[in-house]
Amino acid sequence: MAPAIPVVIEARGLGKIFSVERAPIVALQDISFAVPEGRFVSLVGPSGCGKSTLLQMLAGLVPSTTGEVLVDGAVVRRPIPEKISVMFQDATLLPWKRIAENIEFPLEIAGVPAAERHARAAGMLALVGLSEFAERYPHELSGGMRQRIAIARGLAPNPRILLMDEPFGALDEQTRIKMGHELLRIWAKTKKTIFFITHSLTEALFLSDIVLVMSHRPGRIVGVIDAALPRPRTYDIIGSAEFGAVRNRIWKLISQDDTEAGETGMASL
Amino acid sequence: MSVRRLIVIVIALGVWEAVRRFNLVGPLLLASPSEIVAALVKSWPDYLVALRFTVSEIVIALAFAWALGIGAGVVAGVRPFFGAVSGPLLSSLFAVPLITWYPLFMVWFGIGMASKIAYAVVSGFFPIAINTMNGVRGVDPHYFVFGRAIGCSRLQVVLRILLPMAMPSIASGLRIGTALVVIGVIVAEMLASLGGVGYQISYYQSVYQTGHVYLGILFALACALAANWGLSVIERRFTHWRELQIGER
Repeated sequence: MAPAIPVVIEARGLGKIFSVERAPIVALQDISFAVPEGRFVSLVGPSGCGKSTLLQMLAGLVPSTTGEVLVDGAVVRRPIPEKISVMFQDATLLPWKRIAENIEFPLEIAGVPAAERHARAAGMLALVGLSEFAERYPHELSGGMRQRIAIARGLAPNPRILLMDEPFGALDEQTRIKMGHELLRIWAKTKKTIFFITHSLTEALFLSDIVLVMSHRPGRIVGVIDAALPRPRTYDIIGSAEFGAVRNRIWKLISQDDTEAGETGMASL
Repeated sequence: MSVRRLIVIVIALGVWEAVRRFNLVGPLLLASPSEIVAALVKSWPDYLVALRFTVSEIVIALAFAWALGIGAGVVAGVRPFFGAVSGPLLSSLFAVPLITWYPLFMVWFGIGMASKIAYAVVSGFFPIAINTMNGVRGVDPHYFVFGRAIGCSRLQVVLRILLPMAMPSIASGLRIGTALVVIGVIVAEMLASLGGVGYQISYYQSVYQTGHVYLGILFALACALAANWGLSVIERRFTHWRELQIGER
């Protein structure tokens, strides 16, 4: 990693303790990392390890128990929609609004004038290649198309960072692979910083520059993998020896953590 | 209206009229169409006054029942604790026949419009509140997070995202609640009041003027139909997307 690239988002000693029936549960512990501008960073880990909580803390949606989040050097205390967009497994489009209106919605909340909203929505629709669907309703689109609209909506306010919480988790495998390619194309064009959560090692490695590996309860970062595979990436890369070797390293980090969990309590399995 | 339907209606009215003309059923039990028309010709100014009375009660009661029902439903849906405490309470209160409370409403609000309005508001409130609560709870929690992430205030999340998302469920609550408000007003007027369509019905029944009673029932029917029609206009305005969705499948 070249030191000259500025850091966009940084986690410093983030921790989260939930209180369940008065018993404290350490969900996240001492999470620190920095994401340089324009990088594609993935976070992989077993389900229930607190990935979504971490993402919502990064977005200023959930307060942390310890530590802090910095975006462009400033501490995040509340959502900053002009800098951070969030996406989920479900596209969360508003079903009564047309596609173009859906993309404009965050801009409307931000108080952007109508003429500029229309122009930006048209630009975003062109970017994701769905211009002809501007006047349709969300239910008329397939799951993959809806996620592309969600990406367009997330990019419309021109944020610095896109936080994606398993955005392709509900899609079938073929659509998922296509969406991965599509996301890389959009990322190359917009040069946004992307923080991407997934439980698929292949997906994480295929997409990312850096893969953060998380453990289970308490959620900690147990490894930072530099996925320095050549770009632009095609599907063939997944079959390469290099890809397999790095994926095995990630798998070892995760499965090591699993044995630990197995020793401390079978209940979690 | 098709010709066939018109013929059926004419025949039905003819049979109805004949049943009375040949005195097959006594005048206390049934009024013929011509007797109802006679009652209208004779007493229409009274009925117009009564109708105005009843319609204003219904309109005021609807405004309160809708606003309070939706408001309480949203709060109960968003605040899990409040919902958990009030949900069973709301449901069990709704199960008690409300009419048993009406004497108390008379004591609290007097014999005038206020007691009819209060009674009707309470009748309509529960189904609206319960359906709103269920609708809001049914919204994918990611919509809350999305709303907050794009910078919506809490009020904006409720007004711009939650309420429209819950609208199909709210609309069915409004459908039941609106019918109950209309029924509530007219029943309350029949029990004890100084005016209104329900008052006309029970007054003319007590003086054995069956034609006038039937006329009152027709006016009550008109109130219910008008309320229903108004509701469906609003409903179509807000849930058109849901109809599109269903139409497509």
